[in-house]
Amino acid sequence: MSLAGHLFRRILLIIPMIIGITLVLFIVTHAIPVNPLVVILNEKSLENPEAVRSATEKWGLDKPLPVQYLIYLRNLAQGDMGTSFKTKNPVVDDLRDFLPATIELALGSLLFALILGLPLGILAAVKNGRFVDKVSLVVSLIGASMPPFWSGLMVLFVFYYKLGWLPGPGRIDSRLTGPEHITGLFLVDSVLTSDWVSFWSSLQHLILPSVILGWFTLALITRITRSSLLEVLSLDYIRTARGKGLRERTVVLEHALRNAMIPVITVMGLAFAGLISGAIMTETIFAWPGVGRYEVEASINLDYPAIMGTTLLFAVIYMIFNILVDISYALFDPRIREQ
Amino acid sequence: MKVYRLMLFVMLAALLLGSLSACTPPAAAPAAPAATQAQPAAGETAAPAAPAEDKTLVMAMNMDDAVTFDPAIAGETTNLFVHNTAYDQLVEIKPENLGKIEPKVADSWTFSDDLKTFTFKLHPGIKFASGNELTAEDVRFTYMRIFNVKGPGSTNIEMLESVEVVDPLTVKFTLTASTPQFLAVAANPSLGIEDSKLVKEHGGTDATDADKTDKAKDWLDRNSAGSGPYVMTNWAPKSEIVFEANPNYWRGKPYFDKVIVKHVSDPTTSLQMIQRGDVDMIRSLDVDLVEQAQADPNLQVVIGTSLDQNYLAMTSNPEISEPLSKPTVRKAIAYAIDYDGIIQAILRGYGTRAPSIIPVGLPGVDATQAIQRDVAKSKELLKEAGYENGFEVNLHYGSNPTRETIAAKLKADLAEAGITVNLVPMEQSVYLSEMRAQKLPMAFGGWTPDYLDVTMWTHFFSFPDTSIAMRMWYDSPKTQEIATKIESEMDEAKRVDLTKQWQAQVMEDMPFLMLYQLQTITVLNKDIKGYAFHPVYFFNLVDLSK
Repeated sequence: MSLAGHLFRRILLIIPMIIGITLVLFIVTHAIPVNPLVVILNEKSLENPEAVRSATEKWGLDKPLPVQYLIYLRNLAQGDMGTSFKTKNPVVDDLRDFLPATIELALGSLLFALILGLPLGILAAVKNGRFVDKVSLVVSLIGASMPPFWSGLMVLFVFYYKLGWLPGPGRIDSRLTGPEHITGLFLVDSVLTSDWVSFWSSLQHLILPSVILGWFTLALITRITRSSLLEVLSLDYIRTARGKGLRERTVVLEHALRNAMIPVITVMGLAFAGLISGAIMTETIFAWPGVGRYEVEASINLDYPAIMGTTLLFAVIYMIFNILVDISYALFDPRIREQ
Repeated sequence: MKVYRLMLFVMLAALLLGSLSACTPPAAAPAAPAATQAQPAAGETAAPAAPAEDKTLVMAMNMDDAVTFDPAIAGETTNLFVHNTAYDQLVEIKPENLGKIEPKVADSWTFSDDLKTFTFKLHPGIKFASGNELTAEDVRFTYMRIFNVKGPGSTNIEMLESVEVVDPLTVKFTLTASTPQFLAVAANPSLGIEDSKLVKEHGGTDATDADKTDKAKDWLDRNSAGSGPYVMTNWAPKSEIVFEANPNYWRGKPYFDKVIVKHVSDPTTSLQMIQRGDVDMIRSLDVDLVEQAQADPNLQVVIGTSLDQNYLAMTSNPEISEPLSKPTVRKAIAYAIDYDGIIQAILRGYGTRAPSIIPVGLPGVDATQAIQRDVAKSKELLKEAGYENGFEVNLHYGSNPTRETIAAKLKADLAEAGITVNLVPMEQSVYLSEMRAQKLPMAFGGWTPDYLDVTMWTHFFSFPDTSIAMRMWYDSPKTQEIATKIESEMDEAKRVDLTKQWQAQVMEDMPFLMLYQLQTITVLNKDIKGYAFHPVYFFNLVDLSK
């Protein structure tokens, strides 16, 4: 089958998967014994008959569950994810508000992980067993084992509070109110509006949370790059290349690395999706108004529409990244392209 | 070999780039704390000739509860502060005297003997921030919109029958029942007068079907339509609220040109931010960090007694818990609790306690009458009720770190009297659902007032069709009789007397008891003046200056 045909099939498959996910989510969320009214109204209004009647009607809570589910699916098909019980906003609008901050942070983290992780992994492979390899192991271990709620507080304490090298929590200086809203990504918006003060401030604010959130991914990329490259470096064609008298740099970076990248790309794609959905702790410590906090509050309040909306969004992000990873295999490996 | 040097170089370059972008101080880089604190002092001496003086106030506040700022739908705590800042109410209750109703938009008022009709004379010439004039029609629109949208805001004015515009500066409210607390209700920040023209322009309506047709929420979430000292010009959820001074403010232009309220949920972080000069005040600090804040000579720490309280409620229904349905057993529990231990050890002294459920700070409440721990008496009462060998009971609560610690303490305290308590922590929404379903034997919950009147407690904790009493099956004719009298009495001295009677009766039945009432710890830069704590809306932003 051609690549285009393969892609088309993969994209079509997303639809039944979404329906399956919504069904499971709907059943799971509704199995918890919470009266949605306690989320929609405040505590004192729960015995106000008029308010209760109006809310029940407005949110369709008087309808049987299967009907509520079908209504949800019908609305979803039209791009309507329902209205959050808690914020009383369309879930789509809420996600539009919160997602850009998370994407900016995830991109910053991925960039950090790649810039340091790839070279570190390569060095560790080439210098297998030597000092650099051990350093990379330590860096990875720290990244994989430090919880962000601790490391986040520590880096803030040292680099913000004690040394004052980097700014504190938030996306931008507390006396600035952010660039004009275009995409919601502060860096992009401030470039588009030539607002350089905001650009500098948001770039600096991005550093600490990106490091904290990206460290785990850095560890992952370093270790995968190392082991994958080590494997490739032991293959016959590398020996041939060396035998031809090629420079070591050419052998490693041009002959070996390309083949070693495939598992790294797999990890990267999934890691990026993970960075978007798993930034809750980092967002809390750094007062970062992202989608992670929204997701947690939706779960705590059992805000069904918001829970379903965020989970669906994350599921779709994972699916899309899986497809992107598949495509990139083809770019790196001509054999896959030809299949 | 060169390859690896190249690698090292790339990594170093990346690191360097990162720290460089951090170190080059562009316009907005954080200054060292010492420098920041020195600036305002210099500005103060040169006040008249300082046009470039920064009149922006930045405040850190946990605004996790904020979901909407439409006065008709909001029912949380943060919105009370916002609505008090951006809107003016008919009357107000100032921090200096919580028992006194003072004029705000209304210059004066009268009420009928049956307390069912209230007429307000409005202050002439008040302008909204938009420039529109504030008239009786705006008052009518505001109340009818909130009533008809049927959201949380409508609960406070359930007794509204009609609002009538007598003339442009006179408005008459007719109520379905006698309501002595109506003036206190009218001081609720969310009943601030809305600019009816502006709200209608953005889809607002006061029609009877407003719960379906009103579309002003989107706009009111990010803007305000009031006549208050500041105008809300933006709200970025989980991030910040921006206020700008209202140039038309009828009581004089406020000191600050701009106020940015930053959402910071981590308390340690907020303290670091004020110490680094990134914010000028913290609305509420954790008790664990008070000493650290007090040790900083650049900060002032102000303690205010809030009316936020945490209570223990016990069911009166024998089908849910046979022992708890007996008042003697409930009293035994009241004597078994180590209240001072909770306040001193867990709240580090930043708490207080009232004798019944009505908090300290309201007329007629005397903290010295509160029950003190007496385990021997507790055991005696248990024996009298036939439970000398103790019994087992479940304690339910919406989990958070403070409640977990206190629940564990309650378990230990009651164990000394021979009662075995099983802790059942729940998510707050699950807890509320179960409580509302009237299923809980013993509940540990919280209560925050919307308006400053004793009926905020005597009503909701007495009648079997209201929140707390219903949920715990408390149905005492004596308590209800006193509560009914309070609701038709306007004379302050008589109300105080009735309040005392109500407390005594509740302490006799012991369906609920107050565990503690929290104190609010506010931290400000030492050059900020005018702060006074208010238990409903936190503080008046317009009072602050440098």
